[in-house]
Amino acid sequence: MDSFRQAFGLLFSLDKELMQIIGVTLRMSFFSTSISCLIGLPLGALIGTKSFKGKSFLKKLIHTLMGLPPVVAGLFVYVLFTHYGPFGSLNLLFTVKVMVIAQVLLITPIVIGLSSSFIESTSKPIIETARGIGLGNGRIVRLCLSEGRASLVSIVLNAFGRSIAEVGAVSIVGGNIQWKTRVMTTAIMLETNKGKFSFALALGIILLLIAFIVNAGASFIVREAKND
Amino acid sequence: MIDVKSLKKEYGERTVLDIDTLEINDGEILAVAGANGSGKTTLLKILAGQIRPTGGELSLPGKKLYMPQQSYAFRGDLIKNVTLGNADREKAVKLLEKLGLSRLADKKAASLSGGELQRLSLCRILARTADLLLLDEPTSACDAKGAELVVEAIKEYRGETRCTVIMTTHSPALAMNAADRLIILNNGKIEADGPPAAVLNEPKTDWAKSFIAGWKI
Ligand SMILES: Nc1ncnc2c1ncn2[C@@H]1O[C@H](COP(=O)(O)OP(=O)(O)OP(=O)(O)O)[C@@H](O)[C@H]1O
Ligand SMILES: [Mg+2]
Repeated sequence: MDSFRQAFGLLFSLDKELMQIIGVTLRMSFFSTSISCLIGLPLGALIGTKSFKGKSFLKKLIHTLMGLPPVVAGLFVYVLFTHYGPFGSLNLLFTVKVMVIAQVLLITPIVIGLSSSFIESTSKPIIETARGIGLGNGRIVRLCLSEGRASLVSIVLNAFGRSIAEVGAVSIVGGNIQWKTRVMTTAIMLETNKGKFSFALALGIILLLIAFIVNAGASFIVREAKND
Repeated sequence: MIDVKSLKKEYGERTVLDIDTLEINDGEILAVAGANGSGKTTLLKILAGQIRPTGGELSLPGKKLYMPQQSYAFRGDLIKNVTLGNADREKAVKLLEKLGLSRLADKKAASLSGGELQRLSLCRILARTADLLLLDEPTSACDAKGAELVVEAIKEYRGETRCTVIMTTHSPALAMNAADRLIILNNGKIEADGPPAAVLNEPKTDWAKSFIAGWKI
């Protein structure tokens, strides 16, 4: 109960550090989600609609990567961007940018996997029917998108949820630096380690609240879409 | 004329379609029968250009319409489903009426029953013009009355446009009532071919005899 009071107290006092952490979290999740979807959705659509050699191997690979442990992704990106690594000269380690890179590595396979199986199952009959009446490719793509709006939104939400809740990769490559790369999850970790459980819990409640608002907004969009 | 020569479709080791020759006259209504898995849908999909054959030659008219075995309900009401991709609205209204769906015209397509949806799917096809109609089991979900409406609509369309119609079916009644010609596939091969009455009443091979004996019940 105390944590609830503390959570709302923190939120309504507009605590400066908290607001900054929420800001970094949202910025990171926004870019991770957008980039993963920009890469993953078209690739998923391609894999879902085309048949080619090595497709089943590729699908197995993607399914494996969908379960990639965040710490492994983090470690991999860390090695790439560390001072002596191949991209060390970019000086990106311990920035929000590299956190986004690690998360994109983590989330893109999920977007590809989900969207390709969505296209395969849901879009097949749409494509077949639309092509059967002679509609062009552009028109068919638009039909698939509008027919599958709900699934698409849920894929994007999945990506966002994964990003905002993720701690392993961002703590490795971001370093949980105060005022810079600290996000909700790494802040919760830190407070828990310090033994400040109720404060950590308060942060957890705020994290849930953000996730809830985003989901509610998305389901509103889907409901609007269903009505036409 | 439609001309098919040594058409083959293989999946791995298995040959699911193997047609030496098949010639179909313009304006003919051809029914294709055969057991589950005999290759009816495969033949239609190849003619529709939806899948590629493993080998063979095809000569087909340019404009064709294909109705899949599984009907799909697009978002929106029945009118919107029929006019999809800007077919004529007036035509759509008339077709819905003809297929007994006009009282449902402003309902969502997703709310239709199986037989209603199948007739809607046919409306979507008949609202357009083509030289060749490829219909995969157009009455499989319909009751007797619904099937009758479908047959009438197809015949009328053929009468107006002089197009060729190829439809698959599991219904001897449909073959008798609607088709000028009936072929029966057995494991991808044409086992019987001729006017429906002749094929049904005077089967030429033992296989055809036993298939038709089982089919009529
Ligand atoms: N993509 C595929 N891969 C492997 N086999 C396939 C594929 N598509 C179809 N087949 C096989 O080809 C055979 C013919 O299938 P088809 O759909 O043409 O049968 P059908 O005569 O339409 O049957 P039904 O009466 O059940 O509709 C089936 O045995 C099926 O298993
Ligand atoms: Mg079939």
